[in-house]
This record gives sequence, structure tokens and C-alpha cells, in this order.
Amino acid sequence: MLLMAEDGSTRANWPHYGGTYQFWRYSALEQINRSNVKKLVPVWAFQTGVVDGGLQATPIVVDGVMYLSSSWNRVFAINAETGRELWHYYYQNPRQIGIIYSPWNRGVAVGEGRVFMGTLDNYVVALDQKTGRELWKVNVEDLQQCGCNITGAPLVVKNKVMVGVTGGDSAHRGYITAFDVVTGRMAWRFYTIPGPGEKGHETWEGESWKYGGGASWMTGSYDRELNLVYWGIGNPAADFYGESRRGANLYTDSVVALEPETGELKWYFQQIPHDVWDWDSAYESVLLDLPVKGKMRKLLLNTNKGGYTFVVDRTNGEFISAWPVAEAINWIKGVDEKGELIERYEPQIGKPTFICPSVGGGRQWNQGAYSPQTGWYYTTGIEWCQEVTAQKEEPKEGLNFFGGVLQLKPPPTGRAYGHLDAYHPVTGQKFWTYSSKYPLLASVLATAGDLIFTGDAEGDFFALDAQSGTKLWSFQTGSGHRGSSISYAVKGRQYIATPSGWGSAVAGLMPQIWPETEEFRSGSTLFVFALPEEGP
Amino acid sequence: MIWLVLLLVQNLTDPGTISRGKRIFVQTCSVGYCHGVGGAAGAGPRLRGRKLDKDYVYRVTRDGIPQSAMPAWKGRLRDEDIWAVVAYVLSLSSAVEPASAPAEMPPGVGPAAFLQFPGPAEAKRGHDLFFDATRGTRCATCHSLGERGIPIGPDLRDVASENPAQLLSLIRNNRSKHVLTARLESGEVFPALRAGQNEKWVKLYDLTTPPPVLRTLERSQITSIVEANDWQHAAVVRNYKTEELQAIIPYLKWERSQEK
Repeated sequence: MLLMAEDGSTRANWPHYGGTYQFWRYSALEQINRSNVKKLVPVWAFQTGVVDGGLQATPIVVDGVMYLSSSWNRVFAINAETGRELWHYYYQNPRQIGIIYSPWNRGVAVGEGRVFMGTLDNYVVALDQKTGRELWKVNVEDLQQCGCNITGAPLVVKNKVMVGVTGGDSAHRGYITAFDVVTGRMAWRFYTIPGPGEKGHETWEGESWKYGGGASWMTGSYDRELNLVYWGIGNPAADFYGESRRGANLYTDSVVALEPETGELKWYFQQIPHDVWDWDSAYESVLLDLPVKGKMRKLLLNTNKGGYTFVVDRTNGEFISAWPVAEAINWIKGVDEKGELIERYEPQIGKPTFICPSVGGGRQWNQGAYSPQTGWYYTTGIEWCQEVTAQKEEPKEGLNFFGGVLQLKPPPTGRAYGHLDAYHPVTGQKFWTYSSKYPLLASVLATAGDLIFTGDAEGDFFALDAQSGTKLWSFQTGSGHRGSSISYAVKGRQYIATPSGWGSAVAGLMPQIWPETEEFRSGSTLFVFALPEEGP
Repeated sequence: MIWLVLLLVQNLTDPGTISRGKRIFVQTCSVGYCHGVGGAAGAGPRLRGRKLDKDYVYRVTRDGIPQSAMPAWKGRLRDEDIWAVVAYVLSLSSAVEPASAPAEMPPGVGPAAFLQFPGPAEAKRGHDLFFDATRGTRCATCHSLGERGIPIGPDLRDVASENPAQLLSLIRNNRSKHVLTARLESGEVFPALRAGQNEKWVKLYDLTTPPPVLRTLERSQITSIVEANDWQHAAVVRNYKTEELQAIIPYLKWERSQEK
């Protein structure tokens, strides 16, 4: 092989939000495998004490210490072997938040001896990794003015910590900001909407660029060799009303490649020009090196909320392929060989329009996993639709800017449900499917034990055979799953950890289809499992 | 105004008020992820088919709910419009059927009636410049006025007593009586504002580059904190033209006049 594929597996540590910078969410640990997974037992549990918004985080593990964040910006350092708390940091948020992107937090970043977190009131804090003491704190933008904040995990690359912001459904102009890890000083800001005089500005009509959304609410990936940071950008605002922002609306619904030292844009690929459905492309970018038509390529795989996975060449953004993760999709007929959308079906103004999937997405933000062992990509999909009525709306700085209302509906088949599937990452060929009564809103974890882990809305955390999708083990955690499970090892023992705790905006929408979910119990507990230790 | 509110309180069942409340609700409360069409529930709770107290609904709509996603609509909706929304929400209490398809808004209907800047016309431009989001660094990056902006620099209502010429000179000055120079053991030197301290730590705002960074330093890390420095306020306002800085002054004066 001419090109050495970079290894995106984790081992004893789970150092980054996506496992590694490549976002595989794949652990090379194989102590727990298909033949012994039935013996998994809980070894400890950790309760954050705040159930509001559920538990949506991905824990980070470095050298036997776990770093976990919860709603309302609590951070805990935990002995990853015993579950005992080492320190905690409770961030003081203002009493009045009043923003729809709250109160959850999806994770911290650890690097350079510090733990970094973005806050509900739109600050970034740096904590001493050993003690949890606050070292610096900096405001990203006034929450009350921008209607934006930080719920995603930061990304640390070299001596910079990068954060995205929410605000894609607010009258706000999005950006990604980098701060110096030591001093907290701002290093650069990349606006996801080009300003006057910048290339791409012409894709926005009139003043619409000032309030055009383009949130960067999840976490980027990084390619060390190419020295590029990849970040998925969200929908343009107003979400459903596009008449006053005619044009392609760059760089919304795009993946952007930035130079980490300067924030300079190296390339972009826009999946959905002029989005009028609220289809963010803000989810994770998975970095893979795979053969395409007999030639090794450096690929980037990004699934959007409209339910399509786009595969591009990550050296230059060249389109490779696109394939769907859900069946109920009617906003386009497909994607052609150039990567362009075929036959758009848009919400009408003042008239209900039946659109699939629902605004909750053909997939939610919770990440998929790639196993180099099977060569397959594992991700969830959701079958649900909605009636959307677009309506004319003027932007009011920092306030909601949806430009429409919606009502969730089952698909024409009458059956709304969730599923987890195994795909070929480039062609989208499906190898197996696992169905669930409700949308699966937790991330997927793959391991070298040929196992796939995730949790469901009813509280079951379970393991599937990576080859066949057969369920091998399950454990009832008492509340639905909305976070991201991980695997790590301490002193040679492999652990599987999963957040449990139902909540979030999308969980809030679910009663429109499944009324009983309104009474689902929230929670916020981290469960850790391992194989029983050998008896005497 | 009180008379008007009382009148509206008595007319919460008036079809015209309910209909007006519905229009505002559709464009303000049922949008996107919030309360859903007809209060069907979203990220916000279901309002449909629920017996709610009018004063509670009014209070929550006006003031928001602390530590939640529910914003305060005071200052964003007129009081009579908040009452109209209350009237509509109460009208949903007996709804049992799921909300109908969202066809409530005819095309071309304008947005809900949000309040505009409450000050006089001559202060409006200054207000907009003070909070101008198209500038990476704006006055509000370091100063708070009217419950907006980041309160790090001095309260500008105090400064606003000066005459306009003096004010302009203060804004464009090359010296500041507030800013100190911090020297660290590491050799680092930066312009700083004091933000707090105890026997172990000193909190300083690092003003090297906007936005200011609140740094917590061990006393042993600090060599000295002294007055006199070369930090210039003029440098952080250089992305405003002189004429724009002059236009901000009437806004500062107006905010000062609002002081209770």
C-alpha cells in the first residue's frame, strides 16, 4: 500500500470527543468480545446530580482519570477504575438563560494540562487538569445579544482550543473561534458567513448575511498530516423561510477545512445550497483512508440532518459519493454523481407541506462509529416526517429565527421508528439493520471485540454483533440514552462507559408522534461495565 | 397603561384578543423546537389541554423561567401582547385533539410586534453602534449598558456626565487610570484590570487583545502589578470612525438619564 492509513483507534485512553481526532469512535481493545460480552457487569455508577436536559456528554479518559460534564456546566474528574470523584467544578451560570440551546453540555476537551469547556452563557473556561481550579475564562459573545452559546465539546489542536457556537435558529451570524490554551487570548475567528468584500458574500441577499445562522454547534476533526481542521456548519436562518436570503448561503450546510494556526479557509464542500428545511451539516466528520475505484483516497464522511451521508476527498473537498441513512426522505429525489441535489421539494409559505424526515433529522447529532476490522460504518437513522409551514419573518437580533412552524407526523408507511445500520462507508451498501421502537438518540461505539454498543430511549444499553447486528447483551439503566458511550482500560482491564439520562430538544418533540414519551423519566448517571474479575 | 392592562385582563375570553394572541404565539412561541403548533409541546412543555393559572402564565411569559430555556418577553413584546398570548394559551386548556396542521399564518404576514429601542431617535444610532455585531470588537465587548454587554470596563453611566468633547477625548485617550501592568514570573507582561483576589489568588482581566480574559493567577506567579502602562483605549476603538464615536455619545447620555 502506497499510502499509510492513519490509525483512528483508541486504546487505554479516550483522549478526544470523537475518540481520536479522526472521529472513528472505535476502540482497539478486545478483552470484551462477542464470546464473553454476556458476562458484562456494572462496576460503578456516577451521578451528576442534575437530570435537567439528560446526560448528553462523551466522557474523556486520560491515564486512568475520566473527565465528565453534565447539564448546567458541571465538570467532574473521576477515578476511572473506582468511580470516586477526584474533583468537581460547578460553573456559575446566570439565573436567566432563556435560550433554547440549554441546559445540556456535550463534553469537555483535555489537553496541555487543562480541561476546557464551553458554557451555557457563552464563555470558554480552562481548568487545571489536576485540581479543577479555573485558570481562565473568556466571553465568546454576549448571550443576550447573539442568542447563541456553547453546548458542544471544544477541540484542542496544538496550542489552540477551538469552539463552535449554537445559534443556527437565532438571528445570528455563526463562527468558530480559537483561543490560546495558556492565556485564553483569542487567536482567530472564522465567520461561517463571509462578510462584505469576502468571497462567498455574494451568496447572501441584501443584509441577510448578518442574521443568517450557520452555527458550528458540534465538534471538529483534525488531520495531523494535512494539518487541517474540519468543521461541519449548520443551517441558514431563518430555517424554513428563504425568500429574503436568496442565494447558496455559504458556508451553511457545508464542511469547511481550516488551517488551525490562522483559521484560514482551505476548502469547503457545501452539501445543501440554500437550505430551507433546517438540515444542518453540523455533525461530526469521520476521517478515513480507503480505496475508491482502486485508488487510496483520504476521505471525509459527514452525515447531515436531512439524512444523507456525504463522502468527499479531505485534501481538497472533491465529491466522492452520497447515500441516505433513512428511508423516509422526500425533500430530494437523490444526489447526482457531481454531488448536486436532485429535485428539491421545499416547504411552502403559509401552507402545510409534508416533509420527510422531520426536523429532528434522518439522523440526530449523536455520532456513528467506524470499525477498521469490519470496514463498515455504523450509524443510526430515524423514520419520521412533519408538516412544515414556512412563514415570512423579519430577523430580531439574538431571538429565534425559524421562519416557520412544524408538526411531527409518522411517515406514509404509518410506522415511525429508529434503527441502527451497518454500511459500506463509501457506497452506502447496507449489511444489516437493527430496529428500535423509538428514535435511537445515543452515539454508537465500535470495538475490536467485534461489538457495537448503543442505548435506546427506553433505557436499555446494549451490545450488537458487529458482523450480524444480533443483540448479544443488554442492561436496563433506568433512563433513556442521549449521550455517547466509550471504552477505555485501566491496569489492563477494559471498561465500557455509558451516559444514561433522557432529555433534550428532540426528546421534547417526540410526544408529537409518541405521546407516552412526554412522561419518560429523565436522569443523569454514568454507568461503567467490565468483565467480572477472576475469583479466588 | 394600567387601565389598558386591567381592561385586557378582563377580556381574556374575547375572541379578538385570543386571535391576536394566536398570531403572536404562532410567530413567537410555537416556532421550531419551542412549544409546538397549538402548544403541542416541543423542547418547551405542552400547553394544550392543560389547566393553567392566568397570572402564572402571564408572569412566566413576561419574566421567563430562571435556569431554563424560557426567555423573558418583557421588553420584547408589549405588555398588552403578552396578555393576548396568555388569552390564547388559556383558550387551549380544553383542547383534546392534536393541533391541526399549521396553516394559521397567511403568506406575507409580518412578525409579532417586538418593541424597538425605547430611547429617542438621536440615541438610536449610538445604541446600534455600541452593540454592532458586525464589528468583532464593539463597545459592548467590554462595557454593559441597558442590561446588555459584558461588564468588565467602567460603568459608562458615570463617565457620561462629562461634556461631549471631554467624552470623545476619554474614548480616544492614550492613557487609562484603570488599567495596570501585570508582570509574571514567567516573564509575561500584560495590561490588566483587577477583578478580585484572596490570600492565594489574584483575578485579573488580561486586556492584551479583545475580548478580555479573566485569568486566575497564584500570587506566587505574579512579580508585580503596577500603575502606568502604555495600554490605549484609542487602540480598541479604532474600528469606529470619529463620527461614529461622536454618534455614540448621545446614547451614553440617554442611558445616564435612565438611571433610577
